[in-house]
Amino acid sequence: MGKRSKIKIVRPSKRPAYDRKKATNGVMLRTTITMILCGVLIFIPLFVQLFRLMIPQHDENVSRAIRNQTRMTSVPANRGTIYDRNMKVLASSTTVETVFIDPLEIQNSEQNLDLIANGLAQILDVDPNMIREKAAKVGRRYEVIAAKQEWDVAEQVRTFITDNELRGIHLEPDSKRHYATPATAAQVIGFTNAENKGAEGLEAYYDKTLQGTPGAVITIKGNYETEMPDSTEKLYEAQDGSSLVLTIDEQVQRVLQKNLQAAIEKYSIQHGGFAIMMDVNTGEILGMAIEGSYDPNNYLEITDLHDLEELDEISKAMDEVAPDSDEYKALIDQYNKAVAADRLRMWRNRCVSDGYEPGSTFKTITLAGALDSGAVDLNTTFYCAGEKNYPGREATLHCWKPEGHHAENTAQALQNSCNIAFADIGLKMGGETLYSYVDAFGLLEKTGIDMQGEALGVFHPKDEFVKNAQLTTIAFGQSVKPTPIQMVRAIAAVVNGGYLLKPYVVSEVLDGNGNVVQKNSRTVIRQVISNETSELMCNLIESVVTEGTGGNAKLTGYRVGGKTGSSEKLDVYDENGNQTDDLIVSFVGIVPMDSPKYICLVALDTPKKGTGFHVSGGVMAAPVVRDIFADTLLYLGLQPDYTDVDMRTVNVQMPDVRDLTENEASEKLAAESLTYLKVGTGETVTGTIPAQGEMLPGNSKVILYMGEPVPTDKVTVPDLSNLTLAQANAVLTNSGLYVQTKGSSLYYAVITDQDYEPGTEVPRGTTVTVELTDTTALD
Amino acid sequence: MSLFRKRDPSERVKPQNLDETGILDLPYLVLTILLACIGVLMMFSASYAKAYYDTGNSAYYFVRQVWFAAGGIAVTIIIGRLNYFIWHRLSLLILGAAILLLAMVLIPGVGVTHNGATRWLRIGIEFQPSEIAKLAVILTFASFMSVFQDRMGTFTYGVLPYVLILGVVAGLLVLQKHLSATLIICLIGAFMMMIGGTRWPWFVVLGVVFGIFLLIYLSSRGYAGGRVTAWKNPESDPRGAGYQIIQSKYAISSGGLLGLGFGKSHQKYLYLPEAQNDYIFAIVCEELGLIGASVVMLLFIFLILRGYWIAIHARDRFGTLIAAGFSTKLAIQVFFNIGVVTNFLPATGISLPFFSYGGTALLLQMFEMGIVLSVSRWCTNKQAIGRRKA
Repeated sequence: MGKRSKIKIVRPSKRPAYDRKKATNGVMLRTTITMILCGVLIFIPLFVQLFRLMIPQHDENVSRAIRNQTRMTSVPANRGTIYDRNMKVLASSTTVETVFIDPLEIQNSEQNLDLIANGLAQILDVDPNMIREKAAKVGRRYEVIAAKQEWDVAEQVRTFITDNELRGIHLEPDSKRHYATPATAAQVIGFTNAENKGAEGLEAYYDKTLQGTPGAVITIKGNYETEMPDSTEKLYEAQDGSSLVLTIDEQVQRVLQKNLQAAIEKYSIQHGGFAIMMDVNTGEILGMAIEGSYDPNNYLEITDLHDLEELDEISKAMDEVAPDSDEYKALIDQYNKAVAADRLRMWRNRCVSDGYEPGSTFKTITLAGALDSGAVDLNTTFYCAGEKNYPGREATLHCWKPEGHHAENTAQALQNSCNIAFADIGLKMGGETLYSYVDAFGLLEKTGIDMQGEALGVFHPKDEFVKNAQLTTIAFGQSVKPTPIQMVRAIAAVVNGGYLLKPYVVSEVLDGNGNVVQKNSRTVIRQVISNETSELMCNLIESVVTEGTGGNAKLTGYRVGGKTGSSEKLDVYDENGNQTDDLIVSFVGIVPMDSPKYICLVALDTPKKGTGFHVSGGVMAAPVVRDIFADTLLYLGLQPDYTDVDMRTVNVQMPDVRDLTENEASEKLAAESLTYLKVGTGETVTGTIPAQGEMLPGNSKVILYMGEPVPTDKVTVPDLSNLTLAQANAVLTNSGLYVQTKGSSLYYAVITDQDYEPGTEVPRGTTVTVELTDTTALD
Repeated sequence: MSLFRKRDPSERVKPQNLDETGILDLPYLVLTILLACIGVLMMFSASYAKAYYDTGNSAYYFVRQVWFAAGGIAVTIIIGRLNYFIWHRLSLLILGAAILLLAMVLIPGVGVTHNGATRWLRIGIEFQPSEIAKLAVILTFASFMSVFQDRMGTFTYGVLPYVLILGVVAGLLVLQKHLSATLIICLIGAFMMMIGGTRWPWFVVLGVVFGIFLLIYLSSRGYAGGRVTAWKNPESDPRGAGYQIIQSKYAISSGGLLGLGFGKSHQKYLYLPEAQNDYIFAIVCEELGLIGASVVMLLFIFLILRGYWIAIHARDRFGTLIAAGFSTKLAIQVFFNIGVVTNFLPATGISLPFFSYGGTALLLQMFEMGIVLSVSRWCTNKQAIGRRKA
């Protein structure tokens, strides 16, 4: 306090270094104004704002805050499995994990980003720079680094996190869909997208059923999983999705796909094809194949060679222009559009989503209606001179056979697939009757099949049906465009007693515990034609194969019926806008004709012309149906009936007759319908050609060696193409070979295929199987 | 410049008779200490979860802050005991130092970066030079204005020096991309010029110039536009720009009338970023409710009003100007902080005096309070007041 007394000396009268005057009134006033402004006024809106937030908005924001503080970790429900009719798994899900980072957490915790980026990149096989970029994002909480990782990879990530005490790297459970390989019924089953939602096919149609209800763990916690004084946790179990049991038989489906692929290759088919096999009495779809297809495990990849070539051309063109030019951008655009279009096309189930041109297969519908309505009977006669003019129709109607079929009855009209006869039938029925049958056969309505994206076919309206110009055309199956599934069920109704069915592909829905919760069965929509007409139609349709254009569908031991069809594609134009002459060829086969069980439609879209095969359903599609039947009927439990069958067309097994006497051997061979030729003079058989156990055609003559050595030299298989069976037999017998046939039994059918390539060296007594084709089956 | 004119050595002694001084203004001192104590307690609560998450010790931030708070109270009383005349003498020196420090921040490698902004220096302790610049501007303005009080109506003495000083300081802050500090310094400067007596028309001219500058600045910096969008509609980007605003709203609304209770905030569990810092007032609202938050705001208002009261009753113009300057600064800081936290204003990084975490900022705030208190000593002496009135 001594200091104070010192300062006391200072005289107050001394002026300070600055003006010590009390502030003026002006300053006072302005200070007061500032005081009111800064000390009072500016706080008023703040009080108002606080009040608004804390009282009127209290409840709303509190509930939002609680939601904010509540963490709902979803527990994914397992997606149901898709089984074939024999419970073979076609699609199933496994649990995987998605690795994501929380950039905000990483930034806040100031960790070694290089360690995180490089470590994760190595485990997950991704670019470390991508991780760095994502970790640097501002204000983000969720950035996926790698989706759908298998368990072992996820374990590595977990170890990496704990070993380095890292923050901001998280894993969450997810599921991944696996589909049968090779791809089976891809367009039918479809696929799920990255979010595990059904995107196409049954996965989309039955998405709700399959996906189940996800469960949840609900926790009230601090951010970054920190514990809070009021933390709680609650678990709600997930409800697993239901499983589907399909009517599809994986085995049958594979056969359809295999034969369709083979046909596409053999006949150079430009735009793929499709095949449907259905139970005619129940409407169960046994198989539905569409080619070119895709692999649902990798659904973005384009596999069609044709499409790949086009894409390749575009990328080649891109290499030739400057990377920044407008042309380059246009090409990229074109490329992306082409990829998108190709994908949509390969995913599309054209059996239910698109119309097609059934051509003459439609004649079965016309004829069934005509017989049922009484417009024609089996004794009605027609005359085909190759062409005919009709009143009301400007263009002359040409039959596919220019020289004409001449006089023919109803059965022959169908066997010949005669356009003029069917135009006449159409006129006899009248447009209204034909329309009413087209309608009754369900061709103007959706079939109601439980499949994604079913569309309606395209038909003329009723007032066009009654005009001669359209009526005569529609009657023989041109200018109509039903969907394949519509067509299959319509023809099924023709042969199954007249019942129009609702086709279906899912037979049972099973819940998570395997209990059946839904069962589909035969659903009859209506009876279209009488049982009698249906029976009559069965006979006529069988005669198309036995005597008509469908001969190439003949299968030994089975009563196969069917109808061929070839049609110009409607609405397909070339670059100049002219209608192209692209054809779609098809065959509808039914088996067995005494009591129809299965129907199979095969259609091939735009076969290349000039490959040596006549472009027609009879030549190209009928053999495919026959091969499909040959590969599936025994499996499906339909036993072949060889009574009344030329044993020559059936293979038998060479019995073991070694060490037997001639008499004993003869008896044993006779049991297999075989005869023999004896070489040598021994007491017992020492060897045979063919050797025991080999297959050979029935009624064949085998060689028994009695003491003589069996020759072991090889023979060369000759080229048999374009020979008739009789000619082939002569050639082969000289070579010591047997010939077995499949396909047409008509005497003028020629060989179009043989199982041993010409020039192959085979042992004596080998059976060469040849395919006989009636190349005159031009429809 | 008369500020540096050669003076009679006898003038250099302290000018005032300390007999005329009273004790420190008790309401102002009590309010200051009360706010400092409440502030550091709330900071403890708000930083509890964050401290635990970052360091494993919930009291980590509190322990650091509490020493600064204690030191701050001592500083307040010590500075309050000083004769504020020394700030008149030191004002230009402090301004020079502030400008130097502001410039140092801009030197790459010298400035310290937090949350992507380079605004700090570390010289022994870490601090924001912009805070010193605010102090320096208030002191220098007050010095000039008291010296040139008769010529405040002219351009040369009433406008130019302040515009030049603000120009340099604000320019350096703009280079730091420190928009909020620039704005606050210019606002404080403007208020002081108004109180000091700069003619009204100049405010129009300067206001227009500043407005144009602000427009150019904002349009050249893209992020400001995003802030405005987030301000008007935080839900448009709830995980990005709107995140903090939404979390702050949740915290404030959760408080209701009475609050969840001290220490019971949910939002401080890492939901609300910077809960211990710029957004601490949201936690105050959540824990203490509308009533508690209003009490805190009223304490601020009383302190600010008392500061102006001291200004009005100050012995001389310099005292008036520094007391008004620091009160204005406090008012503006509180207004902007609470305005941002309640989403009344678009987001800028302004801390809440006494509450936000930051030792040097608290120390400096207490230092400023001490200066105001030193001015108050002439108001509390009834004898002196009486004599002056007479």
